[in-house]
Amino acid sequence: MKCLKTNNENGCALCDATWGEYYREIENEKMFFCCNICADIFENMVNAVKKETGWDHIDSVELHGNYSKGRNCTATSGNNTFRYYFRTYSDGRMMEFKKL
Amino acid sequence: MAVCPVCNAKFDSGDYYTMATHFINLAEDSDAYHVQWINRNISRKKMDITQFTSAIENFYNIAHGGIKEWIINKFVEQFRGENPHPFILKMQSYSKPVMMGYAIEHYFFLKQWVKSCSIIISKTDLDDVQRYEIENILSEYYGRGRKKPHIELLLEMGEELGMDRVQIFATEPLDSTKFAISRWKEITNSCNWICIMAAMHSLELVANSKLNNYGAKYDYFNPGMLDSPLVPDSVKKFLGEGYKSDYSHSFRALDIIAKYCHDYNMEGIQDAYLMSAYAFDRYLEARMERGEMFENQ
Repeated sequence: MKCLKTNNENGCALCDATWGEYYREIENEKMFFCCNICADIFENMVNAVKKETGWDHIDSVELHGNYSKGRNCTATSGNNTFRYYFRTYSDGRMMEFKKL
Repeated sequence: MAVCPVCNAKFDSGDYYTMATHFINLAEDSDAYHVQWINRNISRKKMDITQFTSAIENFYNIAHGGIKEWIINKFVEQFRGENPHPFILKMQSYSKPVMMGYAIEHYFFLKQWVKSCSIIISKTDLDDVQRYEIENILSEYYGRGRKKPHIELLLEMGEELGMDRVQIFATEPLDSTKFAISRWKEITNSCNWICIMAAMHSLELVANSKLNNYGAKYDYFNPGMLDSPLVPDSVKKFLGEGYKSDYSHSFRALDIIAKYCHDYNMEGIQDAYLMSAYAFDRYLEARMERGEMFENQ
């Protein structure tokens, strides 16, 4: 079974915070998040990438940035790579998503 | 009394241990808004109760510079520092939809603003406070001599951007604006004059052009917009007026607060600021959200 990995290995899959105790299964991976909003953001981001690329699965996402300036990301699926930027409102709704 | 800036839970004055327990318990429950506040204001790294209590004590510490510097430093860090509020980033270049969103949501902000200022007047007999608030109301809401009030400049900006002012009056503010206004109403109704002053006038720091010495990394907006031929005149007038007046408005208010704060509960003043800053953060998002609605039309 393919599982999704991120570069945030110590804490929340989105922001790397180590507070909280919230889990959600995304792309066959039981992922840790500090809160449900981070989980919503991550899940929406994954869906946006899949919609944009047509991929049926994402292997990994590398995220750099934060809630203020948004996040520059690189997603991979097999040999394919997709670079993008996104930013959300504090309640998790997508504000901006663009291919880089 | 200490107050949780997220949910308004109340604690005994100086009881940072109980406040820390409150935050840790809610973080363990993954309560999103408490976790966000901790991540952005204390640390993203989990702490035990002793470490967290100490961190909260440090957060409230005003030993360096007193209440004025404490408010400025906290404000700069949250809104105009290394990681500014996203709205500040949006304002680094001209965007018609964002300014349209600004015009609508800010109209409702100013309606509440003038109520808060007038309640400050009603809750004190101090001449310098009353005079300051009257001057503020004149410049924001009524005008002085030939100078148009800020609210009129806002509406004229909305009109030049293609909206009718009747349309602005009739629009329902977005939920984040409603949340913020209801919190400012609550602060205004329940707090003393100095706390209301800290809550409201600290927000004018957003447009203060003299915050570089306090660590501000971004101007409220790109000052080049004031000279750009691409930016409508009404936008320049609206932004330029705030840019000029909010410097003195915010610093004068903070000087008044610093002058009288020792007669009042310091923590109450800090809490009023924190409660208001939390609401302001959400309100600035509403300006962007409204702008996005125009962009998608």
